[in-house]
Amino acid sequence: MQVNFYATLRPIVGGRTVQFDIGENITVQQLVDAVVTRFPKLRQELLNDEGHLYPHVHVFVNGRDAPYLPNGVETVIQPGDTIDIFPAVAGG
Amino acid sequence: MALGGFANRIAHVDLTAGTVEYRGIPEDWARKYIGARGLGVRYTLENGPQVDPLSPDNLLCFMNGPLTGTEANMSGRMAIVTKSPLTGTVTDSHHGGWSAARLRWAGFDGVLVKGKASSPVYLYVQDSTVEIRDASEVWGKGVHDTVAFFRDRYGEKDLSVIAIGQAGENLVRFACWVNENDRASGRGGTGCVGGSKLLKAIVIKAPKKMPKAANLEAWKPAHKRALATIMDEQNITSPRKGGLSVYGTNVLMNITSTIGALPTKNSMVTSFGPSAEKISGEYVKEHILVDDPTCHACPVACKKEVEIKEGPWKGLRMESVEYEPAWSLGANCGNDDINTVAKLIDLCNDYGMDAIETGHPISIYMEATERGYTNGDGGLAWGDTMAMVELARKIAFREGIGNVMADGADATAQYFGHPELAMTVKGQGVPAYDPRGLKGMGIGYATSNRGACHLRAYTPAAELGVMPFGSLKVDPLAWKGKGELVKIFQDIHAFSDSLDLCKFSAFAESAEEYAAQYAAMVGVECTADDVIKIGERIYNLERYYNNLAGIGAGSDYLPARFTQEPSTMPGSLGHVCELDEMLAEYYAARGWENGVVPESKLRELGIIE
Repeated sequence: MQVNFYATLRPIVGGRTVQFDIGENITVQQLVDAVVTRFPKLRQELLNDEGHLYPHVHVFVNGRDAPYLPNGVETVIQPGDTIDIFPAVAGG
Repeated sequence: MALGGFANRIAHVDLTAGTVEYRGIPEDWARKYIGARGLGVRYTLENGPQVDPLSPDNLLCFMNGPLTGTEANMSGRMAIVTKSPLTGTVTDSHHGGWSAARLRWAGFDGVLVKGKASSPVYLYVQDSTVEIRDASEVWGKGVHDTVAFFRDRYGEKDLSVIAIGQAGENLVRFACWVNENDRASGRGGTGCVGGSKLLKAIVIKAPKKMPKAANLEAWKPAHKRALATIMDEQNITSPRKGGLSVYGTNVLMNITSTIGALPTKNSMVTSFGPSAEKISGEYVKEHILVDDPTCHACPVACKKEVEIKEGPWKGLRMESVEYEPAWSLGANCGNDDINTVAKLIDLCNDYGMDAIETGHPISIYMEATERGYTNGDGGLAWGDTMAMVELARKIAFREGIGNVMADGADATAQYFGHPELAMTVKGQGVPAYDPRGLKGMGIGYATSNRGACHLRAYTPAAELGVMPFGSLKVDPLAWKGKGELVKIFQDIHAFSDSLDLCKFSAFAESAEEYAAQYAAMVGVECTADDVIKIGERIYNLERYYNNLAGIGAGSDYLPARFTQEPSTMPGSLGHVCELDEMLAEYYAARGWENGVVPESKLRELGIIE
């Protein structure tokens, strides 16, 4: 599974796109766990003390933020889904 | 005036008579409308809302706020306020850098200009004095050569120059004022008003002399607390760590495209796909970034200076590649060449044209070409970079089709016989957020008093969850609650725009921080509730002006593309912007009747007796 990273997350993961070999039928939460296991420095960027995604970071599945998916972070990722992970971003 | 913090000195310039008078600020106005935006609108209202924007009778206000040029962080800003020749509304357009601070250090809260000179002039400001001087040597020059001329004449040290370029001289309806750091008061055509008065520039010579707070004891903790929020590593403002500091505003290009909220090819679609990466903040940082300039008293340093390394503009060094112009001259025009984007922004800075607005007639021409609406006239392909550069020049000099485009997006769409191609509200082009993917922006654009604007109510702060410490996060695709949310944002931003603090302070500071700094600087009582109440008053004052100017019922709308053409891109697939539902909620929250402020509300807020 390919995951795209953006902005201040890129220097941590070493680029825009990272390949994860984690099998099929995994949930968004399981993917996030795999991401922070592989890149421990991402844990403090993405997760609060309870291990939940900060409201200001985004895990998009086909452009939709995880909290707003039908099953939230328990949503199962389908083959071909596009995964984009952003830190807090805003501007003008 | 009993209030502290202000210089209590405004220069009233009559270019027809060739005179300058100095007056204080009416204390009642300062208490009610604060400064910068609010105070500028009050003066503009006093001048009369029926005035023709390009007549000598229009008032052009260069207005600081009580925090401008002080120790307050992100306080290097002024508002240029006038009746807009593009929209017919009152407009205020802000810029940063050091020119606003220097105006304060020279001893002024503002300079108000009326009349029309008999030949081109500039204003020279030094030591609490304003002089009208001959500008014949710089009339016809771009902003960059104008700045160089005055640096040569007066010395670069302690000098600021706020100028119009050829676009303002040629009365391009969206011409703007640009200063020595290429910071622009972009929107609304305030530079066109300057050109109509034959006013070329304001030159300010003033060493640093920051005003002290009226209540120093309260100021220190207020300032310290505000600074701490900006520096907090969790905030995007965090210097060299937060996304806004590291990548600038163009950190937004990839996320808006990802969620189907990037208006692409004249808003025909809501994402630029893989091409968004090529004009993104990440791409700029990796390939052409050379420096991170800043403004007076700002540790964020969100500006991005670049140097083009290849192609026809190799060697050009310019600032700043911001999200809005990168979108307007990039994705909006189907252009994914970052070098051309940088070149076009630089041209807009030099000609003195709103870089957001400039993209609109160009993208309309491109869509008209695609649809066969150009009546056999050469046409313009999406992303034709060389033609875009030539068109920018033609617009500034009103040559050929540039003469049509110089009157704005509505005029351009009408020229092609298809007014529905103009993505405008009240005559001003929409900015870089598609309301089908970020629905708060839809109600924000529609109800903005100065025409389509992303800064009146920056709802992405909530819709992308970047309110301080993620304190508020709402679904960008939900419409319910957005009408009420936009009112709150509009009121708080109206207050901060009147202080005048950079909008990006809102990603770190809240109404409490604004209240504490204002109260300490000016020496008054002010709470967070007061901030919202005063902001509400300022917002209604602007709406009152517009109503009196004939912009009333039915003036809050969106182009049909956003309300009737569903998004076809991931993230917002199938969505339209439910404006009518949000408007009903908004008007109820405002107490307005179909966009008109009732007299009862004006009295409640103390705007009329």
